[in-house]
This record gives sequence, structure tokens and C-alpha cells, in this order.
Amino acid sequence: MAAFVLSRLFYAILVVFGVSVAVFFLIRMGGDPTSLFLPPDAPVAEIERFRHLMGFDRPLLEQYLAFLGKALRGDFGMSLRYNEPAMALVLDRAPATLALSGSALALSIVIAVPLGIMAAAFRGTVIDRASLVISLIGQSFPAFWLAIMLILLFSETFRILPPSGRGTWQHLIMPSIVLATYSTAIITRLLRSSMIEVLQADYIRTARGKGLSEWRIVMKHGLRNAAIPTITVIGLQVGALLGGAVITEEVFAYPGIGRLAIQAIANRDFTVVQAFVIVMSITIVTINLLVDLSYGLLDPRMRKA
Amino acid sequence: MKHFLTSGLLLAAISVASLPVQSQAQDAQTLVVAQPADAYSMDPAKHSAFTTANVLFQIYDALVTQDAEGEIAPALATEWSNPDPLTWRFKLREDVTFHNGEKFDAHAVKYTFDRALDPAFQAPYFSRISAITGVEVVDDYTVDFKTEAPYPTMLLTLYEASFPALIVPPAYAAEEDGAKLAAHPIGTGPYLFVEWLKDERVVLKANPDYWGGAPEIEKVVFRPIKETRTRIAELRSGGVDIAADIPPEDVDSLETDETKISVVPSDFLYFFVFDTTRDTPLTNKLVRQAINHAVDVDAIQAALMNGMGKRIALTLPVNGFAYDPTWEPYAYDPEKAKALLAEAGYPDGFTIKMMSRKGRFLKDAEIIEASAGFLAEVGIKTEIEYLEPGVWGQVSEQKGREGIIFPGWSGRDPNLVWYPLLKTGLYQSYFSNAELDKLLEAGASTIDPEERKEIYSAAAKIIKDEAPHLPMIQPPLIYGLDKTLVWTPRSDGMIDLRAAHYE
Repeated sequence: MAAFVLSRLFYAILVVFGVSVAVFFLIRMGGDPTSLFLPPDAPVAEIERFRHLMGFDRPLLEQYLAFLGKALRGDFGMSLRYNEPAMALVLDRAPATLALSGSALALSIVIAVPLGIMAAAFRGTVIDRASLVISLIGQSFPAFWLAIMLILLFSETFRILPPSGRGTWQHLIMPSIVLATYSTAIITRLLRSSMIEVLQADYIRTARGKGLSEWRIVMKHGLRNAAIPTITVIGLQVGALLGGAVITEEVFAYPGIGRLAIQAIANRDFTVVQAFVIVMSITIVTINLLVDLSYGLLDPRMRKA
Repeated sequence: MKHFLTSGLLLAAISVASLPVQSQAQDAQTLVVAQPADAYSMDPAKHSAFTTANVLFQIYDALVTQDAEGEIAPALATEWSNPDPLTWRFKLREDVTFHNGEKFDAHAVKYTFDRALDPAFQAPYFSRISAITGVEVVDDYTVDFKTEAPYPTMLLTLYEASFPALIVPPAYAAEEDGAKLAAHPIGTGPYLFVEWLKDERVVLKANPDYWGGAPEIEKVVFRPIKETRTRIAELRSGGVDIAADIPPEDVDSLETDETKISVVPSDFLYFFVFDTTRDTPLTNKLVRQAINHAVDVDAIQAALMNGMGKRIALTLPVNGFAYDPTWEPYAYDPEKAKALLAEAGYPDGFTIKMMSRKGRFLKDAEIIEASAGFLAEVGIKTEIEYLEPGVWGQVSEQKGREGIIFPGWSGRDPNLVWYPLLKTGLYQSYFSNAELDKLLEAGASTIDPEERKEIYSAAAKIIKDEAPHLPMIQPPLIYGLDKTLVWTPRSDGMIDLRAAHYE
């Protein structure tokens, strides 16, 4: 087990490092931000002076080594726009994004798990078909469109929810729904199909033969075995939720990491983009690691693997 | 169970419905402004965004400001003169203190500019003030601005839309190497800083001791809302009182019992630039005139801008210095355009590149595509190329714009528009005319306004005839407002809340 964790940890570090290298060079391929900072009428001499001051005219490799040297000591540089440490800017907004993604994930699970189980248990019935329709709709709605529709309905027409911002729990309702829609659909579909598969297995027939109640069969023997692929997908969905938060936060003017990232990319605020990508990749890698480790808890056979 | 669920849901729905959604904007003493972006810094010399400047202008003042007629008017300076052509002398108000009690005087003015002009300070808008070679304290309330050459547009350099021109308190601004000022601003302005929750809100409260008279509205909140539909929804549901950047197509639907629209033609300029530095048909004056005749700008304005904004005859805002209302744009006349093209040797037209950014300015791509349609009518085929903003900047630096270009520009004086865009050899200029160069140089180094008007009148004749541009419109600045709010937008896009109040 320890060897397993160590090897996964090693790969995790490698992934984060690879991502940081990629983002460093990729974001610089489109040019430097000088012209976006200076007034449109700035003379060429001034552009060159500013570029030199900011160090954008140095060779890329030299810039990268300087970045790497500092990053290893925990210094991710100053935001070009905000004149503040880039990592602090990203981390300051983390609680907002965590609250949003967390409530969206909770919402997805609360809806998807019972729906998936029921669809499988009542396969072929109206319940199953209804769950199929719901998931299809959920998968097909573009988040952006859904967000605007919710705002029109609940903020403009009924005026019961604030269209944007952060502060109260009401501010979380619409963004969470938008963010949860897609994952709910995915988790429902996946849980349904793995449950169906499990429920056809021999040991379920044995359990039925032993005269166990259908509730006990579905919930204990069925769900436990269908949980592994579902948890894998939920883990993957966390990444999707964090990514989806970018659009959702922007539409609802929700002050999270995603919104900061969009602005940083538009402004070519290199250091903030780098800090954002590093934080995101560490988060996603960590979640994947936890998902892997959870298999062992759910399935004793895997502990030996 | 079922009953319990239904009644529970109902209860939840009712409790949500009965909660006041936005209490602050319904309060007559609070004004909430929604802009597309948050402030980047509270230090006026450390940013390069109008959205930031709008927040800071409530906290700080400049030496001069813009009055209701759009003229430069006294602010922290009461009067000014030119003791010699290389000096601008300002008399300062003697009754002003900063929010922290620091005294406002000539030393504060000198400190403000010395600080931002220090190259090591890295002010992004350095070039806006870099003509100032020195600031000299004459006495406690008199200050001299020195320049190397006569500098006629000094007042536009010192008013609030020239970002680093807002005056900062010397002792406080020096604390912690400026970090304190950047986080917790102290100015002389009508509003005091309360808090800044990044990407969420900036909160200000009225300064009862403001030298210009305490503002009527007690509390001001700036909120960043990038998505247009969300800004509009906030306005409609009463969450904000001023929503900036409303698209023309939403104007009619916002004239209601609760909301209204306020529009002003901006100082910004929409026009096409013809690249005459490369060997294309555009080097021929007749071709440039033909293009001017070929595009129906009035129709574009009517269709895409809902008729709002202002048609310009030359590349200068109608409220700009030396703009002559008798100037006429080329009339829409496709037959004449075809005749001119034939005369120039292109009876069957030609193919040319069009270059722009997309989504940078209100309806930019739509205007370009509509114009391409008009050009096709007279036989000019276009290949439209949209560049990403960062790439655009780098292409521009290397003088790489080609064909018919849609750059966008602003400036209220020919010296800020024609000089950089038409003077031979400058990197934003794609045109050359020796006679025009002489006039532009003369206008740049003459202080006397009447003399300058004559110079630019002569320059205008050459520009009209040579047609280096296709002047189009000053696009509108459109704001959605709470119906009871009394507030006037400004053509330069700066939001001034000093006189705002509710009916």
C-alpha cells in the first residue's frame, strides 16, 4: 500500500510539473502583454522600455528558469495587473469556488444517486424512462444558455433570486444548478448502467435465492459494487466542475478562481494564469489520488493489487 | 411522507420569495454601479483600465476636470497660464485636505508627478504624462509644469481621464513603498474608501468635508459584472442603479417604469485606415475617395447603433478641439465610387485585406462585415482578418497592419489623433504627406488656441482630399439607469458621481 501511494505521488508531482512547463510556454506563444498594458497611443520607444523593465524581452528559457527557481521556493511572482502576489490572488478566491463546486457536487450526488438507483431497480418502467429523459436534457443544455434562462426566470420575472454576486446562500442557488446539471446527468446514467450490470451478476441471484429483501439486495450488494465506477466518474466530475466554474462564475459575476483565470488570460497576466493552472492541476491530481485510494476501501480485493 | 415533502418545498419556496433579494439598491442613499470589470489597483498611477479609473475618480481629484459642456474646468487648480511657451503654471485651491488630514498643496502635486514619472515606478500610462519634464514648486499653492517643447494639450494630460494625473497624498503614498495606497486609497475626492472585496465590490461612502460640496448619495458600490445579460438582469431586478455598456438593441426594452437609458456619443472614433505604405491600390488617392463614397455609414449607424452615436466628417470627435461643424463627410454614392475606381484604373475592382480585432469595441465585427458588403457592391473584394488583441499589439508595433484597417482610437485634439495616425513615419501612421506633416508639427508646438485652429483647418482640407481614412462615427456610450436616478454620462467614458442624486 505504501509503495502504491508513493508511486502515485511521484506521478502526481510529475504531472503537475509537466503542466506548469506547458502553461508557461503556451501562454507566452501568443505574445507578451505589453501592448495591453500601455495606452494605445504609446510610442514604440515606450513599449520597448516597458517590455525591458518587465523582463519580457529576455530569452524564454531564461525567463522559465527564473520562474522555476522562485516557484520551487513558493514564490509564483507578482500579478502584472494587480501588483500583488499571484498565488495569493488565486488562493484568496479558492473558498468561493470551493463553495460553489462543493454545493454543485452535493446537488449532483443528491439527485443522481437516487435517480440512478431507481432507474436501475425499476428498469424499463416509467421511472427509468423519465430518468433517461432528465439526463439527456441535462447533458444537452449548454451551461451558458441555462444560466441566462435561469436569470431571466428567477431574477427578472419572479425576482426571487439575485442574478449575480456572492454573499448569501441565495447567491449560490442558480450557479450551483447550472454547474450541477451536466454532472448530474452523467452520474445518473453511469450509476444506472453499472447497477444494471451488477444486478444481473450471479451473486445477486444468490442473494435473492437466500431470500434477502430487494431493498437490501439493491442497496448493499448492488450499490456497493456499482460504486467503484461511479466514484471514478464523480472524481472526474470534480475536474469538470472546477472547469465549468469558469463559465458559470463569469455569467453570475461570482468572484471565484475561474473568473480570475478568464480575466488573467484575456489580460495575459502570465503569473496569475500560471498560479491558477498549478493550483488546478494539484487539486485534480489530488482528487484522482483520493479516488484511487478509495477503491481499496470499497473493494478489499484491490488492496492487494 | 408525500405531504411532508410538498409542504416542505412550498415552505422553502415561500421563504425564498419573501426574502429581500437586494436591499442596498432600493435604498435611496445607495448607488450601485455595474461595470464589466473590477478595479485592478487603488493606485491611480499603477493601472491601465477605464473601469479602474471610474472607481478612483470618486476617491481622488485631478488638477483640472471636465464640466457639463465637456470643457476643461478648474478642480484642484483654480486657474492656469503660460508664463512662457515651455511652462504651464497652475494656481491651486488652498482649502483642500486629503481624507487622512494631509494637506493638499504644491508639494503634493510635485510628488504625484515625480513619483509616476520615475521610470523605475513602471507606470503603465507613463507615456500620457511623459511630455512633462519637471514639476516645480513656485510657492505653496503655485506649481509650474515644464516641457521640452511647447505642449498645447497639457490640460488633457492633467485631467482625470489621464490616469496618473489624479493627485495622491505624499506622506501616505510613500508608506510601505506604495502598497498601502494601492490597497486602501486616500485622496481628496467626494467619496471615502470603505472596502474592496476583489471581483466582488468596491464600497465607498460620502466625504462630508469634500471641497466641492458633500455628495448627495451616502454610499456608492462598484460591482464588476462582465456578462451583459447579467448586468441588465441586475438593473431590471433593482440590484444596480447604473449599468454600463448596454448594447444598442436593448435600449428600447429598458425604457420602463423602473429603468431608463442614458446615451452620449463617446469621444471614441470608428474609422478605417488605408495602408498606403505597401504597394496596393490604396496608394491611389482616387481609390481611397472611392471607398469613402462606397460605404453607407449612415445606414450602418442606423442599423447597428440604433441610430445612436455621432457621424464624423473627419477622424476627430465633433466635440474635439478645432472640429468645424461645416466639415462634410464624403456622401454615399456607389456610382461615383465606381467611376472613381475606373478612373484610377480598377474598373473591375480589386481584392484587399481588412484587419481588425473582434469583440474589442461595440459591434466592431458587424461594422467591418457591413462595410465589406458595401465594398463588394462596387467591386472591391475583401479578405477579413481578425487578430487576437495581444497579436494585434505585436503586429502593430512592427507596422504590420495591412489593407483596410479598423483600429479604433480616441482623442479630443487633432494633436492626439492626426499626429500619431497621419504624421509620416510614426509607427501608427500608414500615410505620408509632406505638407500635412508641416502643419501637424506646427499644431503640436503652438500654444495659442486661435492659431492652432487655423493650422488644423488647413490640415483638415488636405486630409479630406487625400482621404487617408474613412471616418465613420463616434459610437454611443449607453447606460441603463434606475428611473429615479439623476446622473449624466460623459463622452470620455469617465463616471462622475459628484452630482448624482435621486429624484
